[in-house]
Amino acid sequence: MAKKTFMDPHDVPTIPGTEGWEKLYPYQYQFSNDDPERAAFESSQIWYYDGLHYPEPHFPFDIMWDEAWSLALSQYNTRHIIIPPAMGIDHRIVNGYVYITPVGIADPEVIQKRIPLFMERAGYYYKNWDKLYENWEKKVKALIGELEAINFTDLPEIEDISVVTEGKGVGSGYLLLKKYDDLINMGLLNWQYHFEFLNLGYAAYVTFINTCNQIFPGVPIATLTKMVSGIDVVMYRPDAELIRLAKLALDTGIDQLVLKPLKSAELMNELAKIPAGKEWLAELEKSRYPWFHISTGTGWYHHHISWNDNLDIPFDSIKMHINSIKEGKEVGRPTEKLIKERDKIVEEYRKLIKTDDDREAFEQVLGVARTVFPYVEDHLFYIEHWFHSIFWGKIRQIGQILQNAGFIENANEDIWFMRRDEIKQALWDYSTAWATGVKARGPSYWPKQITWRKGVYEKFKEWSPPPALGVPPDVVTEPFTIVLWGVTTDVLSEWLKGDDAGGDQNILKGSPGSSGVVEGRARVLKNVEELADLKEGEILVATTTSPSWAPAFVKIAGAITDVGGPMCHAAIVCREYGLPTVVGTGKGTRLIKTGDLIRLDGDTGIVEILERVNK
Amino acid sequence: MADKTERFTLWYEETDGKDFPLVGKKNANLGEMIKAGIRTSPGFSITIAANEKFIVDTGIKEKIRKYLEELGQVTYETTKKASGFAMSLIESATIPAEIADDILADYKKLCELSRTDNIPVAVRSSGAISMPGQMETYLNIRGNKDLIEYVKKCWASAYNVEAIMYRANKGVGFLFNIGVGIPKMVNSRVSGVIFTLNTLNGDPSKISLDVSYGLGEAVVSGLVTPDSFLVDKVTLDIVKTTIGSKETQCVYREGGSDIVQAEVPKDQQEKLSVSLDEVQELCRLGKVIEEYYGKHYDIEFGIDADLTFPGSVIILQVRPESIWNKKEVTARTEKKSDPMERILSQLLTGVRMK
Repeated sequence: MAKKTFMDPHDVPTIPGTEGWEKLYPYQYQFSNDDPERAAFESSQIWYYDGLHYPEPHFPFDIMWDEAWSLALSQYNTRHIIIPPAMGIDHRIVNGYVYITPVGIADPEVIQKRIPLFMERAGYYYKNWDKLYENWEKKVKALIGELEAINFTDLPEIEDISVVTEGKGVGSGYLLLKKYDDLINMGLLNWQYHFEFLNLGYAAYVTFINTCNQIFPGVPIATLTKMVSGIDVVMYRPDAELIRLAKLALDTGIDQLVLKPLKSAELMNELAKIPAGKEWLAELEKSRYPWFHISTGTGWYHHHISWNDNLDIPFDSIKMHINSIKEGKEVGRPTEKLIKERDKIVEEYRKLIKTDDDREAFEQVLGVARTVFPYVEDHLFYIEHWFHSIFWGKIRQIGQILQNAGFIENANEDIWFMRRDEIKQALWDYSTAWATGVKARGPSYWPKQITWRKGVYEKFKEWSPPPALGVPPDVVTEPFTIVLWGVTTDVLSEWLKGDDAGGDQNILKGSPGSSGVVEGRARVLKNVEELADLKEGEILVATTTSPSWAPAFVKIAGAITDVGGPMCHAAIVCREYGLPTVVGTGKGTRLIKTGDLIRLDGDTGIVEILERVNK
Repeated sequence: MADKTERFTLWYEETDGKDFPLVGKKNANLGEMIKAGIRTSPGFSITIAANEKFIVDTGIKEKIRKYLEELGQVTYETTKKASGFAMSLIESATIPAEIADDILADYKKLCELSRTDNIPVAVRSSGAISMPGQMETYLNIRGNKDLIEYVKKCWASAYNVEAIMYRANKGVGFLFNIGVGIPKMVNSRVSGVIFTLNTLNGDPSKISLDVSYGLGEAVVSGLVTPDSFLVDKVTLDIVKTTIGSKETQCVYREGGSDIVQAEVPKDQQEKLSVSLDEVQELCRLGKVIEEYYGKHYDIEFGIDADLTFPGSVIILQVRPESIWNKKEVTARTEKKSDPMERILSQLLTGVRMK
């Protein structure tokens, strides 16, 4: 029987009305037949849609992060740490959606040559992990400090006298261009740092998982994650701060005031009028920096604003927590319980090991997995949340400059439709026109372009990207691909099945995320702002979740995500809350409607729609 | 309440292994299991003291003593005569009211626990010394009248010829009081077998569980394909579930104690025969048994339709697992000098996950 494959990536039709879309993105991101060798490579690979990071089509500016991680992840595999059998992950874009493919090394000789290099380099990192990680935190915090300090304003009518009296010899136009480059470079550097430890972290984690699977065949990944999970995890701190503020409001008797159905700005005005409120606001400010620099999404899109960008969001969550505490519910992570549970699980498994060799293997991999795990869990906050949230704000400042100069109509919405190199060009246009004292071309060029691009983008949004393109491999081996995206050979064959099924598919298969079986009504949420709609006991269905969804997890009975593997946020959090979870169904948010009665089995990864809500 | 040694009945959970002089070995062992957390069918013991009081108050003790004097030398013939004499005396006597009241009060509690009048019980002999199979056990006894009758029959069975001869050979005297156990007959809605390892590969971190409707014979004899579960022993998470076809079930014949086959209704066949909670309770009990005995165990169980969860989950029989316990255990992982070697080897082999 011929091997079943997905559509060839070159055959994906262009959506009518979007012809010429390619210029929204870097040229190397296109699938192309120009070069037969490259085209043959493209046709022979498995390309899967990176829905974990990108539930929506890409904006021309935002694709910067995709390029940044493409460079960083790949270089660490290929050129730094020298992972013997793996090169990087290649990227393409189709109708606005990013597809990626792991690249392996076929030649055994090449692999052999890479081994001693890997042992030396990776060995150094594993051995000096804690010291290097401490240094990493310093580097990243220093970078965020620099980022905070950089600001963008309109060019002045006349330069300040100091350019003369201090003999500076440079002008604001030049500085604007330079600062823009600096900003972009900071962003790219941030992503270099992101992968300094992550590849090694995943390699150690995957080794832990597989060694444990040899000793205890079929041990659930959820259980293994529990064995190594950190307790003081940075990513949980923002929600812990909300709980702290909720409790403080209750303790100081201002809970009724905080619960008032007012927008955050008005509420803060009210609070500022009374002493207890003032003190509470002071505590709020302490929490905000850095903990409210947490994105409401994954941090990958400019519209994934942070809590600091819209205080209504954390205020809503604080209110939810106040109500939960009043109802006598346990809020937040049951830390004591988690520590006890983790230690008990490890101890019981240890006792089950019957030979000294297996015991030694278990201790080896457990030790290294516990060393790397804090980074695996914590890096997200520094990179995708804290840094990104501030970074988006800086780009908005530039958007304001371009709006003031008439290049774009809306500072908050339009700049994202420009590629980062095009923004540089626009700033050149703006600066030289400013220097010369003439009218720039921008105002007659960009608004038209942006209107067209917005139209293309809307069409992209209506398109459903297939979960994969190209040829499935016999076995998926790349650690990131499996652990983070949950793409395995089995998952790919499920996706192939879905391709054949009609619209009335009632059974979906994903990966087991957190153990247990539950039935309930579905609540399909597109983003964190819809959290308020969520009702007690519903099953959350989302493309993916992030830490700012934390307040949801005390309410729901279970969760289903379109994308993600056993290490994705939803899976980790649900395991902690003991909620049954299936991750990586590929199409849960498309097939399930709010109100459907569904059953999810977190042990098998199967989701069943039992009864559809009346349409 | 009277001192334990003076009571006529004792609930199983009031006794432990050391109490065999009070209630007999079989009963004391049940008490010991319950103490260890291994749940068995609820019930109580009629004490050896009750038997003693019965034969004293009714004058049976004295009558037997005199009769034995008259018989003189112990031969097979005289033993047969003595047996007949003792048994008919016991079976035709009336149990003193204080003893009968205690027995019936406990039986009433058992009926209440089972939410059923005249709940069927077993009446099991339990001697303070081991006398395997020498005395009688009666199944499916129901109602006050029968219960009292069969308790006497059970007491009488200590004087059947085999039992008397057995004791004589061991140098134990003729007069012999026994304990009687009154456990509820397990009315198995479902039953099955637990192995405290993965029976396929000997992995000790799993529990294998087979369950089907009705009495255990259907699963043990391989009459049906049961629902089968593989459960993580540490977390009790279910790793694998297979729904069995389970077309037939074994049940007691209506009003009798022999076993017949019956068809399982279609809709029941297609559903799992146990709830998630029941699976976890069974596995928890499996762990308790394994820890108690210190090796892998093969356990028969029933889930009683008359009792409420978790009290309904009943252990029927336990024995050491017979295959993997005996096998030599070899390492499942390759030997590596350090974690780096292990990570390297992992990267080179690639990753296959289910």
